[in-house]
Amino acid sequence: MLDTNIRPSTPRRLLFLYEILALILLFIYQKDNLDQYIIGIGIGLILLVHISNYLLLKISKGDNYIFLIATMLMSIGLIMIYRIDSQAGVRQLMWLALGIFFFYISYFLVRYLKGLNRLIYIYIGLAYFLFILTFLLGKRTYGAINWIRVFGVSFQPAEITKLILIFILASFYYQYENFKEMKYSSYILMAIAYSFIGLLFLQRDLGMAVIFYAIFLAIQFIYEEDRKLILLNIGLAVLGAIIAYQAFSHVRIRVATWIDPWQYIDDKGYQITQSLFAIAEGGFFGKGLGLGHPHFIPLAYNDFIFSAICEELGVFTGMGIIMLFLLLVYRGFKIALGQSNLFYRILALGISTLFGVQSFIILGGVLKVIPLTGITLPFVAYGGTSILSSFIALGILQAASEDFEWRMSDD
Amino acid sequence: MTSENRRIILVLSAFCILFVGLVGYLSYFQVFKAEAVKNNSYNKRLWINEENVLRGSIMDRNGNVLAYSEKDGETNKRYYKYGNLYSHIIGYSYREYGKAGLELEYNNVLLDISESAALNELKNLVLPSSVGNNLKLTIDHSTQEKARSLLNGRKGSIVLMNPKTGEIYAMVSLPDFNVANLNENWKEITENPDSPLLNRATQGLYTPGSIFKMVTTLGVLESFSLDLEYNCVGSTVIDGYKLTDYNERAHGKLNLHDAFVKSCNPYFAEKAVVMGKDKFGEVAERFMINKKIHFDLPVKTSQFPYKGNVEETEIAASGIGQGRVVVTPLNMAMMASAIANEGEMVKPILVKEIIDKDGRILKVMDTEVISTVTGPSVANTIKDMMVDTVKAGTGTNARIRNVTVAGKTGTAENPSGKSHSWFVGFAPAEAPRLAIAVVLEEAGVTGGQGAAPIARDLFIHGLNNIDFEEEY
Repeated sequence: MLDTNIRPSTPRRLLFLYEILALILLFIYQKDNLDQYIIGIGIGLILLVHISNYLLLKISKGDNYIFLIATMLMSIGLIMIYRIDSQAGVRQLMWLALGIFFFYISYFLVRYLKGLNRLIYIYIGLAYFLFILTFLLGKRTYGAINWIRVFGVSFQPAEITKLILIFILASFYYQYENFKEMKYSSYILMAIAYSFIGLLFLQRDLGMAVIFYAIFLAIQFIYEEDRKLILLNIGLAVLGAIIAYQAFSHVRIRVATWIDPWQYIDDKGYQITQSLFAIAEGGFFGKGLGLGHPHFIPLAYNDFIFSAICEELGVFTGMGIIMLFLLLVYRGFKIALGQSNLFYRILALGISTLFGVQSFIILGGVLKVIPLTGITLPFVAYGGTSILSSFIALGILQAASEDFEWRMSDD
Repeated sequence: MTSENRRIILVLSAFCILFVGLVGYLSYFQVFKAEAVKNNSYNKRLWINEENVLRGSIMDRNGNVLAYSEKDGETNKRYYKYGNLYSHIIGYSYREYGKAGLELEYNNVLLDISESAALNELKNLVLPSSVGNNLKLTIDHSTQEKARSLLNGRKGSIVLMNPKTGEIYAMVSLPDFNVANLNENWKEITENPDSPLLNRATQGLYTPGSIFKMVTTLGVLESFSLDLEYNCVGSTVIDGYKLTDYNERAHGKLNLHDAFVKSCNPYFAEKAVVMGKDKFGEVAERFMINKKIHFDLPVKTSQFPYKGNVEETEIAASGIGQGRVVVTPLNMAMMASAIANEGEMVKPILVKEIIDKDGRILKVMDTEVISTVTGPSVANTIKDMMVDTVKAGTGTNARIRNVTVAGKTGTAENPSGKSHSWFVGFAPAEAPRLAIAVVLEEAGVTGGQGAAPIARDLFIHGLNNIDFEEEY
């Protein structure tokens, strides 16, 4: 479906070259006290990336760039995480392997399960169930209650709920003609989306609330026929933002440290200023892998991984990451434009918007372009559920990039 | 195109704008903001080298150590031997208060940090716990001490330099502060209304008063059609605004030479107007007024706003160094130097050599001509006027037996109501070795009374004590 003139192995070889060079740098950096894991990490990463890419080429006739982009991003992320903390690097490699496993699972499920477009009520129920679960079992970290522990594993339900939201929207607009007969159905959909956003606010997960809102707004903007609803949506968001600013002190703090973090450098502005120091120190070409001071940045392999990358690998690498995300979003939208089945088209749009908004919020946050909210950079940052959820989303996008017309004739 | 596809592309375009905007901002941040962000004293990276590297020493031109570091157990301690004397030259380096002066400007040299991070890392592998480079200044310690004692606690500044090489022998600014115990008096220093942190020599902008007539004089000499004769009646009216002489004393008939020696205000005010603002401004800019002066310490740019719609009275006032003209003492010392050096203005130098820990000289600062103000013959004409000013004019208090001094006094009116007392000049006039600018801020006395004797005493001390390396 998506034809290209370069052979698919060419970009994979370039990626291989990048990984080898970065791993050699890591090796040199460690040469005085070699870590026992370095060989394992190196071989593990290369095998994982190349086997999964090769397999995908055999299995899927769809887009063969989005997975490549994701593996490039995760390679940069893993190398940086490993450089900061080798134990975390080993765990991240395991998460990535599990993530890719989940990628294939979600890919096959979306591709072969029929009737996914008719389960809207189940999706809605599941979403509320996950929210209730969070409130019942939630743990408070950094002021937000968004983690629960299941079988000894920390787990952030909203990472799954955001995918469910996309399925709800896709099912709704897929059956738009039917729902239109129901009175105020679009209003009800909006009420449900806003209830999610409100619940996220109560959990103090501001970044996630913005992601939910952006996905909803994008899909509504493209498919809603009642255009005044879109204005209403934007108006409500502005009103909501003002109310949130007045009502919640933690929102006001975010805004204040965004406008002038230097004033609060000792406490509230500490994180963002440390991030800016790192980016400024890096310059265009970076200090070099292992030659910077990522340990000065709080949450360096999590929320602030981008700053740590800019310090050691340079702002040019940072720009590269930004452009990779833009490419990913672009491929996602291209997939949507080429997909003839409406349900899968909306899935592709929702997931592309998710990747775009999530990466923009955290990149803009650590650069102090927008207020900082703690969410992870997809594929790059360390994090269990975040990695899994990103790969699941990518699996759905991969499936959506294929031709579903044959299924229509089968039905 | 269907409306659905159109909207999809709209959303995609929005993402493109957002992401390209991020790349743009990242470049903007890196090019314009990163430098200031990096130097914030909260940036721990600034201090990490401090722990591994013993900061280099700073010494005067004769090798007297002025500041040095020593290992004190695990940490390195910085010692400033002469508390107040070098507060604006050497400055300070404290974790709590950041860095200032040469400690800031030459931080990388003192810590032996090269521009390339990779090279540093390599160096740390080869020579762990290294020692930084030393700075040898152009300052002459005894002259610096003399200069500070001559100001005798009065607000003001002195810059003493070599007019031919640009070496600064002494540079003081009062009030100053004790860099050796900042911890004890930081609050007092920052709250003092006389701003002791300000280096008045390079950052103080003062109304120059009559010393600015050196600029006006050059303009007059270059305007061939100008009538050099004038009848002074003690005041003049330009555009309805009356300009008077000091004490409204009428000088009678005089030419340019006499007007300069007697510092006749109406003469220069009128000639400035006749010369025209563009000519006047162009001459001033050759003296580096309105131009950035590159120096080892940050320098404020002297200002003479003459472009655009400037009124005639404003130009007349500028002709005698009043109005909106403001200058730094360093710039005025350079102005005197340019006349002493046959019209060539040299770059001022404060750091003479960079020397590594083994005594090898890494870098020597060379003399560099930054502006050709005029040719030798015109410069000598102005020099003669300056010699006569000291011999028999307003600057007689700067006279030295056996040494010909050239100079110009200035008494600058300013909003405080008490005039600044100025003297600029050089000595010996035949073969200048020292050029000077002295300003006593809000002294309330004339340049001849206040600043000229200080210049005389410092010339005597300098000529007897400084080890001039050049051959004359």
